[in-house]
Amino acid sequence: MKENILAMNKKGFLVSVCAAFALAAVVSSCGDGKTRSTGLEFSRNMYDPIAYNPDQPNNNFSNKMTAQLPPEGTTPIGFERFEFANSVEEYERAGRELANPLAATKVNLAHGEALFQTYCAVCHGKDGKGDGPITLDRSIEDSRGKRNLENFPPPPSYQKSDGNPSSRGGQMSDLSAGKIYHTIFYGYNAMGAHASLLTPEERWQVVMYVQELQKK
Amino acid sequence: MRNISSVLGKLAKVVSVGLMLLFAVTMSHAQDAANGAALFKANACQSCHAVGKELTGPDLAGLAERRDEGWIIKWIHNPQGMVDSGDPIAVELKSKYPTMMAAYANLSDDDIRDIIAYVKAEEVKNAEKQTAAAAGGAEGGGGSSDATTLMILGMVIIAVLAVIIIVVLNRVIKSLEKVMESNRAAIEAAQAKNEEYAENRLAKFAKAFLRNKKLVGFAVLGLVALLAVAGWNQMWNVGVHTGYQPVQPIKFSHQVHAGVNQIECQYCHGGAFKSKNASIPSANVCMNCHNTVTASDHYEGEISPEIAKIYKAVDYNPETKEYGKNTRPIEWVRIHNLPDFAYFNHSQHVTVAGIECQTCHGPIETMEEVYQYSPLTMKWCVDCHRDTEVNADNAYYDQLIEAHEKLKKGEKMTAAMIGGLECGKCHY
Repeated sequence: MKENILAMNKKGFLVSVCAAFALAAVVSSCGDGKTRSTGLEFSRNMYDPIAYNPDQPNNNFSNKMTAQLPPEGTTPIGFERFEFANSVEEYERAGRELANPLAATKVNLAHGEALFQTYCAVCHGKDGKGDGPITLDRSIEDSRGKRNLENFPPPPSYQKSDGNPSSRGGQMSDLSAGKIYHTIFYGYNAMGAHASLLTPEERWQVVMYVQELQKK
Repeated sequence: MRNISSVLGKLAKVVSVGLMLLFAVTMSHAQDAANGAALFKANACQSCHAVGKELTGPDLAGLAERRDEGWIIKWIHNPQGMVDSGDPIAVELKSKYPTMMAAYANLSDDDIRDIIAYVKAEEVKNAEKQTAAAAGGAEGGGGSSDATTLMILGMVIIAVLAVIIIVVLNRVIKSLEKVMESNRAAIEAAQAKNEEYAENRLAKFAKAFLRNKKLVGFAVLGLVALLAVAGWNQMWNVGVHTGYQPVQPIKFSHQVHAGVNQIECQYCHGGAFKSKNASIPSANVCMNCHNTVTASDHYEGEISPEIAKIYKAVDYNPETKEYGKNTRPIEWVRIHNLPDFAYFNHSQHVTVAGIECQTCHGPIETMEEVYQYSPLTMKWCVDCHRDTEVNADNAYYDQLIEAHEKLKKGEKMTAAMIGGLECGKCHY
């Protein structure tokens, strides 16, 4: 009788161990490893910064943001003032009075190209022909199903060979450095202002590269 | 017989001539529109105009009904001249749209007629699309109403079944109670016996188990091992947020923006080039595209509710295209939380080392909703730093080698010469 019970017991034990393993395997493979919670944390106060991070909420300011805009009329370090207003007359004046202050070196041009590919090519196309990826037909398949995405209106081509006119007069390929800089700073028509994305030096590097594209 | 064949022959002739004429007409029409489409693209008309949507310039839908052909040709050849000559429509357009259209004197009258044909063809295409969408919508609506009737029917059936089951069970219980009433004594005796037996079995099993010391030891060991493994794993994951995917205030999809649209990561996260933080873009960066892109195709002509959240944040009125003063921040939830006692600088990794964003952040361009891909533990950092070869093509190393050369030659080198006067060395 005793033998019998133990034999049964061993079998039962084995079965329960197997079952426990199977359960553990199933539980641990549940989900795709993504979670809405941060899980267990130890001494959270060592993780949180004492000073404010730029993207953190901040009750000390009326708009509750740490990242404040510089006070009006001040010029941040590394920036210089752009003494031209946002109007067609000032655009023309910038075109007449401004010249690219940077030397036409290989380094500046290479930086200009890299910046153009990052900040401009998405609309203007990698060669400035106005055929960037967001101006072309494209579709996506995600949790909302398969659908086409809206096209952004393609900008006119800079290239001389395309001969597109500018809506502010003249050919796109004849735009002067000052005009291009003014447009980067304030934006125009469908293009938004890109002053907050590029420093003055970077803007002039981009202008240098655009002027290379105009020759094509 | 002869009569019939001649009649048939005539008929065939008429039909074939008619068909040829029809073919010619459709061909010439198609050519018009196709040439118009090519011209529309080549002259960058689409930069400012669309059919069915107002962009920088007015919506071209209904152009042919609105204006006569002569006026359109004159306008395209010299818009400013028409404004100057005091044409009332031109003056009104000038006052309504801030941008003056460029003159296209190079386009011939026929070219312009082709473009008008293209605009008309686009109108027809749009109308077809709309009817198709409406039909699709009706179908979808029908489908959903079918689904609701099916659901209601199912629920009614379930309710009826439930009532039937309750009634049947009640009857069974009643009849069982009657049986128990009649056999009470026998049942009680059997119950007592059963309890005794069960107790006996359990007790015997426990005794046998406890007597077998090996088995007890093994069971305890197994339990301890299990707990230890679980505890060990749990402890390693304290403060590790791999897979953390918080709900964000706007359903922004990196799959759409970085994947399909191929917008460079740094277009929005430009801080990764030159600062410690990769920087969350301010809403003006969103507006560079979303001033025109409203995804209204997918919301029956309304602005997408997610894009409307940006407009609310920057206080933008899409009707008047003007910004107000009542802005409010978008409170994104930070996913990657590095403890404050660890310093990490994006620019050092992105600009100096040239590491791809995906190396640490995973396949961001396929993520509809972003989650933390890497553990961000010290071991993870150290493992990568052990294997990564330094990109020594860098001015820093030139200076370092220069300093070494000087030391070798026995030249004098002061602290100031190796950065000892930098403010940050003492004040931080």
